[in-house]
Amino acid sequence: MRVLAIGLSNVRRMLRERSNIFFVFIFPIAIVLLIGAQFGGGVDPAVGLFAMDDGQIARSVVSEIEAIDGIDAFSYETEAALLSAVELGNVQAGVFLPADMDQKARQGEVVKIGFVARPDGFGAQLQSIIGAGIADVMKPVGAAQFATAETGIPFEQTFTVATGIADSSTGIVVEVSAVGEALFPDTLGRFDMGAAQQLVLFVFLTALAGSAALILTRQLGISQRMLSTPTSVGTIVVGESVGRFGVAMVQGLYIMVLTLLIFRVNWGDPIGAFLILVTFSAVGAGAGILLGATFKNDQQASGIGVMVSLGLAALGGSMLPLELFGPTMQKVAHLTPHAWALDAFAELVRRGGTTVDILPELGVLSLYAAVLLILAAWRLRVAITRT
Amino acid sequence: MSFTIGEGETYGLLGPNGAGKTTSISMIAGLLEGDAGEVRVSGEIISTRSTAGKSEIGLVPQDLAIYPDLTARENLAFFGRLYGMGGSDLTSRVDEVLDVIGLAGRSDDLVKEFSGGMKRRLNIGIGLLHKPQLLILDEPTVGVDPQSRNAILESVESLSDEGMAVLYTTHYMEEAERLCDRVAIIDEGKIQAEGTRRELVAMVGQKDRVTISGGGDLTAAAESVRAVAGVSEASSSDHQLHILTDDASSILPELLACVTDSGGTIGGVEVFEPNLEAVFLHLTGKALRD
Repeated sequence: MRVLAIGLSNVRRMLRERSNIFFVFIFPIAIVLLIGAQFGGGVDPAVGLFAMDDGQIARSVVSEIEAIDGIDAFSYETEAALLSAVELGNVQAGVFLPADMDQKARQGEVVKIGFVARPDGFGAQLQSIIGAGIADVMKPVGAAQFATAETGIPFEQTFTVATGIADSSTGIVVEVSAVGEALFPDTLGRFDMGAAQQLVLFVFLTALAGSAALILTRQLGISQRMLSTPTSVGTIVVGESVGRFGVAMVQGLYIMVLTLLIFRVNWGDPIGAFLILVTFSAVGAGAGILLGATFKNDQQASGIGVMVSLGLAALGGSMLPLELFGPTMQKVAHLTPHAWALDAFAELVRRGGTTVDILPELGVLSLYAAVLLILAAWRLRVAITRT
Repeated sequence: MSFTIGEGETYGLLGPNGAGKTTSISMIAGLLEGDAGEVRVSGEIISTRSTAGKSEIGLVPQDLAIYPDLTARENLAFFGRLYGMGGSDLTSRVDEVLDVIGLAGRSDDLVKEFSGGMKRRLNIGIGLLHKPQLLILDEPTVGVDPQSRNAILESVESLSDEGMAVLYTTHYMEEAERLCDRVAIIDEGKIQAEGTRRELVAMVGQKDRVTISGGGDLTAAAESVRAVAGVSEASSSDHQLHILTDDASSILPELLACVTDSGGTIGGVEVFEPNLEAVFLHLTGKALRD
């Protein structure tokens, strides 16, 4: 009862602070969204089309571009309108088909197709994709020109035959396969990896920032006043630990549930994911109390807490995937609890692992939690009984 | 240091800053372990190593030991749970205490929005919550405006009337004189003297001084007054009669009657009672606010 009262007062106080609402609940989700947006998927790039020719070949080119997967094509009435759309960023690129396109193509002359793109977008990639599409259309044109020259049959007829043959031909199919296990499988959603990294980063950050609340409790004499009640030092220490653990769990569960609902983040086996959160929250709680019991000044503790948590997050793979680290840095990274938590999430999310598969990581995290909580309890006991 | 506080008694620890009042209170509340001796409340030995007897004590520390980011009601409920209260008992008791400390109308406001006086009242309310046998108030009026200060003093008086033993520390002599049935004058961690105000004053030979302004035959009046029991000295000068006595309030009617009976007339009366400040100065050689 008393442990719960102390623990709940911590959670309540955290929720009461407006700045916490932003940093604990809004900011992590915004970062997950931002990182997810940078990793592809989502909105297809838009391409504008302006065709000055209404001939058979021009229509085929337009149809081909409109049929490309992953591109949204829009027709424009004038060249100026399309240029303006590109400049304003309404479309990422514009394709201009000239007025004499059909005539030049039939005569085997060079057809100049215009392409404009913004310098800050996907211009180069779009140029390559659209160029390949146009090339597909122009191949039957070349075949039809050859047939017309050799047989004297009108171009319209030879082009229709060439197009039909091209459509029915299977051509050469090139299959590409990767050797070994993919680090980031195709099934990995664009939010999946970032969500786990941000969960680990922010849960630890909030836990360390919470040390300021503990220092304030001591500074105000509330810890001492608690001791004047029939509440033992041990109960106060456990209550404060439960409070910091509760805060970490509230934030972690919030991030998990919200990213699951909004971004369809795959957290893998739910029991495994929950156990990672439980053990990592305990690590954060231990670290937060240790910091709060060691320092006397809340601003000093907050500053150091932010510095330490961001440093450990960077080192532990919360800012850059651990797989991109060199072998030595990977070993160094595993001195942090973050790396173990992210390894466990990677096992669940990328390799479809179960709770059994992440037992080693859970064991290491539990060890971290035990050591930190024991140290924190000792320091806190000393701090609140010190006169 | 050794003293006993009875049921319904208000006992004052009077001393300057650094005299050892808060240290003494910390030991009584079980926050500090003494080098020797013991503290008993309702028969239970109070110790830092045990929670026994602590439910009989309500501590109101000098610092505002309340959460500024919780409401008054949440603060009371939080400490109520630490005292082992819960459920509807806690809810109704919180409401009662909010009424007593005059914060019922602001119960759901955050404490950080309160004035200094309101925070002080809440600080006291937490100490009352579980109806302790002994209420310890450590300089509860420090930094409080006169109106709130008066409200706090009235609350302490009514608690004492209800039978609660109150240990009150202060370096405000007038508070000790108003509230305390007995006072211990403490300096350098030791009790220098203990007793009622009158006993302390008598201990150092201080007497009440009565000055009667008027006319008529004040010389005869002085002669007559000297015969009244309890008067140690009487003299007249410049239309004034000066009298030294052990207890002015009890013999004042008799003194006034003596003056008029012996041909004097009375224009005004002033009574100067020696205070604890003077006693403290006499005992320690320094002023209370040093």
